[in-house]
Amino acid sequence: MTAMIADNLPVLVIIVPLFIGIVLPVFARRLRLVEGMVVLAEALGLVGAGFLAYMVVTRKGADWIYQVGGWPAPWGIELTANSLAVFFLAVVMVVSLPIALFTIGNLRQEVGGNMRTARFYTLFLLLVGSLAGMALTNDLFNTYVLVEVATLSCCGLVSSHGTPRAAEAAFNYLILATLASSLVVSGIGFIYVITGHLNMGFASQGLEQIWQAKPHAVWIAISFVLVGFGLKSAIFPLHIWLPDAHSSAPSPASAVLSGLAVKGYMICLLKFLYVVFGPDLMKEFSVDRILVLAGMTAIICGSVMALPQNNLKRRLAFSTVAQVGYIYLGFGLMDINGLAGALFYLASHAAIKSALFLSAGAMISATGKKKISELAGIGRKMPLTASVFTAASLGLIGIPLFSGFIGKWYLIAGSLDSGDFLPTIIIIAGSVLCAAYLFPVIRVAWFESPQQAEQVNAEQQAEQPDSAAQEGSRGIALQDEEMHSGQQVQQTAVYQNVQENTPPGNQVKDPGTAQKLALILLTAVIFILGIMPGPFIALAKRAAAELLMLR
Amino acid sequence: MKALLEKLIINYPYFFAVVLFAIGVLTVLTRSNLFKKLLGINIMGSAGFILFIASGNIRGGVEPILHTSDHEAVYVNPLPSALMLTGIVVSVSVTAFALSLIIRLYKEYGTTDAQRIARMRNEVKKIDSNDRR
Amino acid sequence: MLYALLAILSGAAGGLIVFLTPKGSRRLRSIITLLFAASGAVFSWLTALSVFAGKSVRIGFEFGELAWSFDPDPLGAVFGLIASTLWLFATVYSFGYMAEKKRQRIYYAFFLISLSATVGVAFAGNLITLYLFYELLTLATYPLVIHERSPEAARAGTKYIMYNLSGAGAILIAIIITYRFAGNPDFIEGPVLAGVETPVMGWLLVMFIVGFGVKAAIMPLHRWLPSAMVAPTPVSALLHAVAVVYAGVFGVIRVVYSVFGHELAGQMSISPILPWVAAFSILAGVIVALRQDVLKRRLAYQTVSHLSYILLGAFTLEPWGLAGAMMQMITYPFMKMTLFFCAGIIAEQTGETRISRMKGVGRELPWTMAAFTAAALGMVGMLPMSTFWGKYYLMKGSVAGGMWPFAVVLAVSGLINAACFIPVAVEAFRGDKIQSCREKDTRTVWMFAPTALLVVIAVVTGLVPGIVWPGAEAVTDWFFR
Repeated sequence: MTAMIADNLPVLVIIVPLFIGIVLPVFARRLRLVEGMVVLAEALGLVGAGFLAYMVVTRKGADWIYQVGGWPAPWGIELTANSLAVFFLAVVMVVSLPIALFTIGNLRQEVGGNMRTARFYTLFLLLVGSLAGMALTNDLFNTYVLVEVATLSCCGLVSSHGTPRAAEAAFNYLILATLASSLVVSGIGFIYVITGHLNMGFASQGLEQIWQAKPHAVWIAISFVLVGFGLKSAIFPLHIWLPDAHSSAPSPASAVLSGLAVKGYMICLLKFLYVVFGPDLMKEFSVDRILVLAGMTAIICGSVMALPQNNLKRRLAFSTVAQVGYIYLGFGLMDINGLAGALFYLASHAAIKSALFLSAGAMISATGKKKISELAGIGRKMPLTASVFTAASLGLIGIPLFSGFIGKWYLIAGSLDSGDFLPTIIIIAGSVLCAAYLFPVIRVAWFESPQQAEQVNAEQQAEQPDSAAQEGSRGIALQDEEMHSGQQVQQTAVYQNVQENTPPGNQVKDPGTAQKLALILLTAVIFILGIMPGPFIALAKRAAAELLMLR
Repeated sequence: MKALLEKLIINYPYFFAVVLFAIGVLTVLTRSNLFKKLLGINIMGSAGFILFIASGNIRGGVEPILHTSDHEAVYVNPLPSALMLTGIVVSVSVTAFALSLIIRLYKEYGTTDAQRIARMRNEVKKIDSNDRR
Repeated sequence: MLYALLAILSGAAGGLIVFLTPKGSRRLRSIITLLFAASGAVFSWLTALSVFAGKSVRIGFEFGELAWSFDPDPLGAVFGLIASTLWLFATVYSFGYMAEKKRQRIYYAFFLISLSATVGVAFAGNLITLYLFYELLTLATYPLVIHERSPEAARAGTKYIMYNLSGAGAILIAIIITYRFAGNPDFIEGPVLAGVETPVMGWLLVMFIVGFGVKAAIMPLHRWLPSAMVAPTPVSALLHAVAVVYAGVFGVIRVVYSVFGHELAGQMSISPILPWVAAFSILAGVIVALRQDVLKRRLAYQTVSHLSYILLGAFTLEPWGLAGAMMQMITYPFMKMTLFFCAGIIAEQTGETRISRMKGVGRELPWTMAAFTAAALGMVGMLPMSTFWGKYYLMKGSVAGGMWPFAVVLAVSGLINAACFIPVAVEAFRGDKIQSCREKDTRTVWMFAPTALLVVIAVVTGLVPGIVWPGAEAVTDWFFR
């Protein structure tokens, strides 16, 4: 039995969350059982990922190639457990377990109803399973299917919040994500037309032989894949769906979307670019420079756009846009330090952004306030939550002892190696801007009492009307006569009722035990990655070496 | 020119794929009606499917069943068609999900027009912020 | 040899304990604060004594590629001594100044944590450790800057963070470049970059100096310092005249002497420009100070000027210059803190912060203004005050290195300093009384006692410079061995 499990581990890691996820709605009436199953699935996944990582690390050199159904490579589907795969698998499992813990007993008020909660968990596990699949799969079309599963789960998670705003954000996300999927599937189609293979290794060999004869077809394939995954992982000009979607989802969903889902698409892009097309082709078509340029633009623009946001979750969402830039920048450096730094930064950002969204969610659900200026003095009432938020912020800024510092260290080292000084400056500028949009939150949370905050607010509003008021006035300007029908006003009132259905603010305190445990776990991950990065950075370096050298 | 046109005629499925893709993208980006956006997405998806399936077709090829009588027969590649079956399933589920979202939006706002919804949302925001002052 | 670690940890431990004290217990909190500040000072002295005795006090941790180590050389020991000793004075002064202020718990907690970070900067054994504590110092002092909780304080805080994190970013880049050439060895093993040849060397030095120059308030990078004066006076006195800005100055000296070494730095084409940068700051800072009416702001700009005295001495790359820099570094804070403390007492007793309205204040507060006058003389560099010796050796170093223009710069700056402060003192005793004074109570005593003690120490060390000279000598011998 154990031997069978060990032999089939790569596929089990994917199948188990998917299977448990699908059967969950059956037990919807007993929510405790559902929650237990979710945590069980996560724990199993974590153990599996850990064991897989152990096997791969001790194997030294050779990848573990698993043939699904026993069919050999050109015909069957392969799962490859190499360093990159186990690295990302570990990230997915380590980060999603605390998120699952955080949802225990906490989700019903945000999602509403047992059935809806169970469905939320289904989508959550489907997403985790498909992310695990993205890490392991070595097949182009399989990647597409997993990407679609992940996309649909993501949209479902966004819309699981009861508000119409969430439905709208989910619809916009769905449309753009499906557009991206079409691009990806067309890109895969082109690769298949050119090479006749869907296995990544064989397709890569085919491309190597033939690209000089058909450079245009290869160029089209690359650009389709690049834009498709770029849209899905929200690289700067293609990020427009992200702030709405991530800020209107329930907090655990925001955490998993910002922390993991976006990263899954980036890993897919990484595999397409480095494994299928290969570093030589990337240089030939100057994809590396595009990535670096896109990354730099995203860092600056994302941070600048985050600055004026007064809604806490929106600010965090824009910060994701900026942080995605760091990872793209690292992907484009084509250097072992830069690539390892990007992978490490990916892991660190997954933990940090999840911690930020979860603690922000805890604060928002405890107070019912969404704006940063309204969270004054929250540090006194919810010390643990605010501490976690602060620690994660410092990590994101890149203070030593936190994981973000190590990631930035290697990214800077990589960009210095690549001989271009501009990315280095952008990385530093990005962390200064990051401090500019996160420090005010920390200041308000710890060092301001509510009355003072109102004073400051009033002064600021006197100086310049805040964005909400501006949008409101634009709304007046755009109003048509027909908009004033009685029906509309009624609906608006209904919507308002939905919005104001928040718990009273007089019992503001830290969330329950499971939530605290989740937050502490994530903070521990941030600290461990920051203080003892040795084994993780070694694995990331191995993955980077495999991606860069092996072909 | 003539050679180009000939190539185009021979490879007409690809040509149509491109045309459909363009139509789809245009519809998604320019129409504000949610249904039309959804239709655009579907048209765009079909373009991808056609591209894939056309790549597997061989003119004059036969279905990939072992023909004992004709050893010279050229088989059509069945793989793309099989793959696109999966693609169609995915696209159906996307459509279903999008439709359910549209229904929810319609129930809330009484319209399926994206711009109107955005306008109404802003109005809600305005009333909201007025209340808060 | 755990003294170094204990010296670093005592501040942080004290800070955490102060956090946990209940709200009303002022006395308990004061005792804890004083106790931990004192223990920090005692352990710093013990560490410094072992360092001067030539014993190794290295403590190191290694996690993967990053090595943390605490390994003070004489320079670090001297800085640690100055910081932790002056902390005691500022702590006692705080008991008076903060007695009726709000949010004391947060104040004392972060005041102690900043002590930890400063001693950490001083005792850091390699570049990465130095960087860690340098960043922590920025973070730990941020709550103190925004202590007033006014919109102005919030803006000052944001400016403080922006400037210092940008500087730290430049340092980080430079550290990573250094790391790629030379790894991360301890400073004590000699100059890090000795024997490395690379075309980017000049840029590296510039980046380091710009980075540390933000905290050292070199003239175009100084703008955060005057705005940070919204902080309570003990914070301005200790952190923004001594500890934080000294961390920057210390970093610059570290880089020039421990990372590059005076030989390598002397060969670089950029090194003749550096003293001029410092000279510019010296003159520009004090000229801007002359035009300020708010006393604390005048002091802030004058700090900018005086920090560059130290940098000027370090940039001469001469033994006498470095000795002058060290003498200046040791003696100057006593006088500067006296000035700040007096400004704080005046503000607390009469509510006056503007110089133009301080006429006749000496009638009410004769002893305070006497201390102020003594410190003003010290700023000019007159003999009974210890700062004379700093200036003397700085001039000696400049002339010895054939850079006599800098001696002129120092003399001119002394004159402008006189114009800055002497009239204030004279007016205070001469003019008519125009402000009402609060009743003097125990708070005034708590504030005045450390001020008077500082003046006494300054006079004694000025008359017997042999007390502090061994510190300067040890540092000079260490780097020019």
